[in-house]
Amino acid sequence: MKKQLFFQSAVVSTILSYLLIFVGGLVRVSGSGMGCPDWPRCFGRWIPPTNIDQIPSYIDTTSFNIVLAWIEYSNRSLGVLVGFSIIVLNIIAIYYFRKEMKLFLSSILSLILVAANGGLGAIVVSSILNPFLVSLHMVLALMLVSVLSYACIESYKLIHIEKFKDLEINRALSKSLIVFWILIIVEILLGTGIRTNLELVSIENPLLSKGELLNALDSYKYFHSFLGFTLLFLSTYIYSKLRTNKLYIARFLGIFILGMIIVQIFLGEMMIFFELPQLTRLFHTWGSSWLVGVVIILYNCISNEYAK
Amino acid sequence: MNTLNKKLIVAFFSVLILGIIGLFTIDQATQSRINNLSIISEVPSFKLDNFDGIPFTEKKLDNKITVVSFIFTQCEGACPIMSTNMGLLQKRFSDSDILQFVSITTDPDYDSSNILKEFSDKYSTKNNWFFLRGDINDVVKLSEDGFFLSASLLPVGHSTRLILIDKDRNIRKYYEGTVDANIVELQNDIVTLIKQD
Repeated sequence: MKKQLFFQSAVVSTILSYLLIFVGGLVRVSGSGMGCPDWPRCFGRWIPPTNIDQIPSYIDTTSFNIVLAWIEYSNRSLGVLVGFSIIVLNIIAIYYFRKEMKLFLSSILSLILVAANGGLGAIVVSSILNPFLVSLHMVLALMLVSVLSYACIESYKLIHIEKFKDLEINRALSKSLIVFWILIIVEILLGTGIRTNLELVSIENPLLSKGELLNALDSYKYFHSFLGFTLLFLSTYIYSKLRTNKLYIARFLGIFILGMIIVQIFLGEMMIFFELPQLTRLFHTWGSSWLVGVVIILYNCISNEYAK
Repeated sequence: MNTLNKKLIVAFFSVLILGIIGLFTIDQATQSRINNLSIISEVPSFKLDNFDGIPFTEKKLDNKITVVSFIFTQCEGACPIMSTNMGLLQKRFSDSDILQFVSITTDPDYDSSNILKEFSDKYSTKNNWFFLRGDINDVVKLSEDGFFLSASLLPVGHSTRLILIDKDRNIRKYYEGTVDANIVELQNDIVTLIKQD
């Protein structure tokens, strides 16, 4: 019952955090980051203005754009909601699971991460969207969903211990999942680096076309593609090893990882060769964030202490 | 239908709905940028002189996107920041032939053509930035009646706002010339106007 409560709370926090990453990505691709020039309030108000007359006279209204203000504010509001859901998770953890170190520490860490990332959000705004800080804001969000995914799977295992007994442990597979996770992180950092540099180049050269911007990048943009295909190779291996696994969730996540890598490569190529780059960018970023959490869940499924 | 299929369908539709929300939001944001640049009014006719002596009238605004500022060379507060920011924009858009810059002195008694030329050399790197002087009454009239910017207690009391004018001589938006976030905004709006063509 208590374990069930913790698990549900962790799942809600995780799903909300993934939604938050989606909305955060939406803020970035739609260029709404300065929608509210102040922080935490928006043009001096807790509810963003719907009309320019609502803005207090001491605040400069030059950049007022109602659409951008509400996009940016939805990110902040959802962030607050995630914060509350993690506070609830922590209350449950402190009340019932102080001795269950995996659950207790992961809850505390998620609270620290969400608070830190909220604070970083304020710095992002005051830096007028410094591309490095924007990217760091996303990397912290990825760390948050990693920790929350861990809390989810560890509490799930406590509830369903019987499913995880008598599992064969495949050390090669476990190791390859660790390698896969590290490579995913490297791949995301490379992708973030490409985006950061595109934005930096674009600030200095606002009239460059997409092709010219890509040409202005260093050659490490090819590493991103190369690593993408390496990950495809590795995920095919992981999938083939998991196909006959006794655990349904492990088989399912094996398919998920392979499918997601294929979708990601497809989206990545689309961004280079076709239009609609913003929506593609959004799902490219968001999909990669799912991989980070899913690999953590999978690893902790198949390499667990209840197995033989 | 088993639970897996149900879950997959829920997942598929969730992603589809998020995609539609994303597409809609991105489109709204793009539209709002254009709407936010609505026409405020048309620049009236005026006649001032560039530091090289060549007359500059409202006709020179035609078919160009123009950023206008009011400054004076002895100003130690806002003007250097405003002019540095304009110089930055001039550099960043140096490949564009459609963008030009205009700075009008509010101290024509002191700011002779030569002094404006020196000022120009300090901030401008291309010949698409005009430094204008003329009768002080004409300058006040242009600021107050043309651009709706107060011009009392000159030279010090000039506005620190930058004015964005489109290629049909329409005032589109004002920006605080000393605030970095406003300069970023101005840069984005210039891109929007250039891409609209």
